[in-house]
Amino acid sequence: MRIGLFLAVALLLGGLAATILALGGGTGWEEAIWLGLPMGLVEGAIVLAARYPCQSAPIREGLGRALATQATAALVSAGFWGVLGQILAHMLESVPRYAGATLRYRGAAPMLVVVGALVFLLAAAAHYLVLALEAARAAEVRGVEARVLAREAELRALRAQIDPHFLFNSLNSIATLTGEDATAARRMCLLLAGFLRRSLQLGGRDRVTLGEELDLVEEYLAIEKVRFGARLEVGREVDAGCRDALIPPLLLQPLVENAVRHGIAQRVEGGTLGLRAVRRGEEVVVTIDNPKNPERTGRRGAGLGLENVRGRLRSLYGEGARLEIATPPDAFRATVVLPYSAAVPVVQEAGLGG
Amino acid sequence: MAADRLRVLVVDDEELARRGLRRDLAALGGIEVVGECADGFEAVQAAAEEKPDLVFLDIRMPRLDGFEVLSLLDPGIAVVFVTAHDDRAVQAFDANAVDYVMKPVDPERLARAVERARERLRRREPLPLAAIGAAARAPGEPLSRLLVRDGARVHVIPVDDIDSIEAQDDYIAVHVAGKTHLKQQTIGDLEAALDPRRFVRIHRSWILNLDRLDRIELYAKDSRVAILKDGRRLPLSRAGHQRLRELL
Repeated sequence: MRIGLFLAVALLLGGLAATILALGGGTGWEEAIWLGLPMGLVEGAIVLAARYPCQSAPIREGLGRALATQATAALVSAGFWGVLGQILAHMLESVPRYAGATLRYRGAAPMLVVVGALVFLLAAAAHYLVLALEAARAAEVRGVEARVLAREAELRALRAQIDPHFLFNSLNSIATLTGEDATAARRMCLLLAGFLRRSLQLGGRDRVTLGEELDLVEEYLAIEKVRFGARLEVGREVDAGCRDALIPPLLLQPLVENAVRHGIAQRVEGGTLGLRAVRRGEEVVVTIDNPKNPERTGRRGAGLGLENVRGRLRSLYGEGARLEIATPPDAFRATVVLPYSAAVPVVQEAGLGG
Repeated sequence: MAADRLRVLVVDDEELARRGLRRDLAALGGIEVVGECADGFEAVQAAAEEKPDLVFLDIRMPRLDGFEVLSLLDPGIAVVFVTAHDDRAVQAFDANAVDYVMKPVDPERLARAVERARERLRRREPLPLAAIGAAARAPGEPLSRLLVRDGARVHVIPVDDIDSIEAQDDYIAVHVAGKTHLKQQTIGDLEAALDPRRFVRIHRSWILNLDRLDRIELYAKDSRVAILKDGRRLPLSRAGHQRLRELL
């Protein structure tokens, strides 16, 4: 199909060149066709090759640069075309009845060069159009893929969200407390209800603020603190300026859960879970670290949770966000880096207006 | 089990969970809690020293998990597992008639488990240790460390450190860098738990860590011997030789 297109274009251009030669240079039609057809083939190839300068100088990277590139390419290719015609005419002169072809050719040459340049520019415009259509199609396909991936990751994340082990152990704590300290049992009940309610709330939204996510994490940690007692300590270092950053919901919660479950809980003496969030230029950096038992090498089940977080970041931010894992022998550190984008402070704006 | 008073050990890494279980057990009567342990090592030690009749064993614990503790207990002891949520473990318990209670603990269910433990002790029914251990391990996940109890002490031996394993009557002798540890287990059960690409049964009574093999020598017609890197010589059966050749 491509070859057919090429031949059609070449034939058309050949006809055009022959017509210009015949009408503009006073060349006989026979001679004009002998010269025009090979010139048409070459111009056909040039027209197809115009795709490459279009690709290397896309309009969205600057109209000036694109125009300059195409103008240069048009002049160079048209000049080359004109010289080629001259060479062909010279060769044709070896046939006695075409004597004087070079001279006749020169008469039409300026016109040929101008038409050649215009044809090139026309072709460049057509190529730009084709490239734009192709790009739009590719973007559409990528968009659909990204949406499917994001949806899958969300579903997996939500399903994995409430760790049954955590839920049943917490209920067991409540059952124990009921018999000995009704107030403590009630408090634990409220903590658990609050955590579950907030998980469901946040999980249903596209984005939450870092502050909201951290509040959820605090509720979770308060419950685990009842279970683990002095074994679980928490060190916090949260930059107040990044609490308004928007993040996908329930992104940090599984990382904190991992840190408790596979880190602190695996140590007889427990340890301190570190929670840090800072804004670094246009990025928000959240770090969760925990000491771990070096004897327990495999974080069984943890790998899946980390993959999940990684998959969500990839489908939502592409290359713009990342999850970094550091594993010295006796610790584990997960760092999430996200582009900073602040939530619109609705209440404050309303206040300013009034 | 003096005067039908059951001597019980409670093992759980959560203090609150231990407290709850202790209270529920006290309510049943006829039970004396002889110890509480917060991790697997303590549990093995306490079981060796206190010789309880029954152990309540949490599964997820630091250092040694419930299954590892189980493998180090005397088979005459009764065990009830306590778990919040472990699908595979529960399947293993059901398949092997091992008792368990779920958290939060239902006192009626607990009473039944204690009753069944008394029954088991009366009948002197040994625990199906190997079957539970194998069923509880994730399929395709070979053993990463071997636990050996020496009195009340527990040795943790990473399987990489094992040179060879020798069957000795009801025991296996685990050879590690010139030292030998004895463990009550059959060589067949251990063979099944180890990574078959690294540990080869080279003889009816020998398993060899493939890394330690230096060469194979013919010492009589049709009879071969495996020479290890440290110079030790192990017998090689015809089938063992076949298995080795397939791996090398």
